Amino acid sequence: MISYLFGFAGYLVMLMLQLSVFSQWKMLAGSADILLLFVIAWCLHDRSKYLWLLVLFFVGITNFASALPVYIPLIVYLGVYFVSRQIQARIWQTPLLGMLVLTFAASLVQSALTLGTIFVQRVDVTFADALNRITLPSLLLNMLLAIPVHALVRELAYYAFPKGVEA
Amino acid sequence: MISKLLTPKNLRNLIIILVVAGTLFLALSGYLTPLFSFSISPFISAQSWLAQRYLAFSDFFNSPRDMATLRAENNVLNERVAMLQSEIVALQENLAQSEILYTLLDFARSNPEHEYLAATVIGREVSPYLQYIIIDKGSSDGLRHGMPVVTQQGLVGRIDALIPNAARIQLITDANSVVNVKLQTAQVEGLVRGSVTGEINLDMVPVGNEVEVGDVLMTSGLGGTYPPNIFVGQILTMQSRENVLFQTGSVQPVVDFSSLSAVLVITNFDSINISPLIP
Repeated sequence: MISYLFGFAGYLVMLMLQLSVFSQWKMLAGSADILLLFVIAWCLHDRSKYLWLLVLFFVGITNFASALPVYIPLIVYLGVYFVSRQIQARIWQTPLLGMLVLTFAASLVQSALTLGTIFVQRVDVTFADALNRITLPSLLLNMLLAIPVHALVRELAYYAFPKGVEA
Repeated sequence: MISKLLTPKNLRNLIIILVVAGTLFLALSGYLTPLFSFSISPFISAQSWLAQRYLAFSDFFNSPRDMATLRAENNVLNERVAMLQSEIVALQENLAQSEILYTLLDFARSNPEHEYLAATVIGREVSPYLQYIIIDKGSSDGLRHGMPVVTQQGLVGRIDALIPNAARIQLITDANSVVNVKLQTAQVEGLVRGSVTGEINLDMVPVGNEVEVGDVLMTSGLGGTYPPNIFVGQILTMQSRENVLFQTGSVQPVVDFSSLSAVLVITNFDSINISPLIP
């Protein structure tokens, strides 16, 4: 139970940091998404049975604060949850590698879904421009921040999961 | 007579006087200075050594007390400096906020046809593909969906979502934003659309209308989304291709969206949703 509280509180802190700080740190037109990074890191550390419920809470909070359609964080976060379970089972000895792989994949999927949604809304999108000015810089920032966020969640996990965390 | 005066006693006194006078003469003339220096230097060295030892001895016994006092004073002074520095930072922040609010107040006074509510920007959209901001006023402050948002410079956007004490503003730079505009100097109308990269472009300007770089764009009021005559931007470039019905161009917004810290919500304007009428 305490791990859910830690996860929930940690996500709220990350949300405040994202809205007030990281959304304003721009590289070209891209910015880092530490909410996604936190979800990935938490899913890689948390082995509890009802983690999917916490992930749904994360989706709800993101939907509350962001203008993104609800299905985008729903698909991406649940996808992260399922893939992280596979990673924990297969390459759990190298959690940082799993963090980087998941960050890369989830960032690209989230970008593709967002661009696809904007395109479906009959908005004229220049995909090459979006790729060069938003997707790739955001991906780079996410990859750079993945390591410190993973380290932060790892420290948090020591208190959240007192019985020991292998990751 | 002379032999009577040159008694041994007088002779001794005379010699002493001559020696003293000669010595004084030599000393005053400077001839004895090297000798004097040579003879006095051991004493000076000894005096210096003694003085230094004394000072060291004195410091050894007195310094701990002085150091403790100085450290205590230093701590007090450091605390005061830190407190004053934090006060300076707080005052500078208040001053910057006041300047922004005074500017907004001037704008509100110079545009009395609208009623305004000032709000502070407290957050920005999570996704870099969308252009939204979050303000600290919401439905409990009388805000409603669709209300236009401006600054003293020009149009910012409109309210997209609300909770009791906060609201999300869709900026005119958002990809889904469309603003009906007109040229300030001529009756030429068009649309300003946002983009995923946060730039705005002019569109739907009929070919044949004279539009020049540098022309200023204002809201036209068409569509019922925004009130008329609010500054939107300035035309940077125009493109007119063959076999197309409309000209397009890029627009420099008058508002610096990267440094928005306070905005005004126009509270007496009810936007009209005409989307059901669009086929």
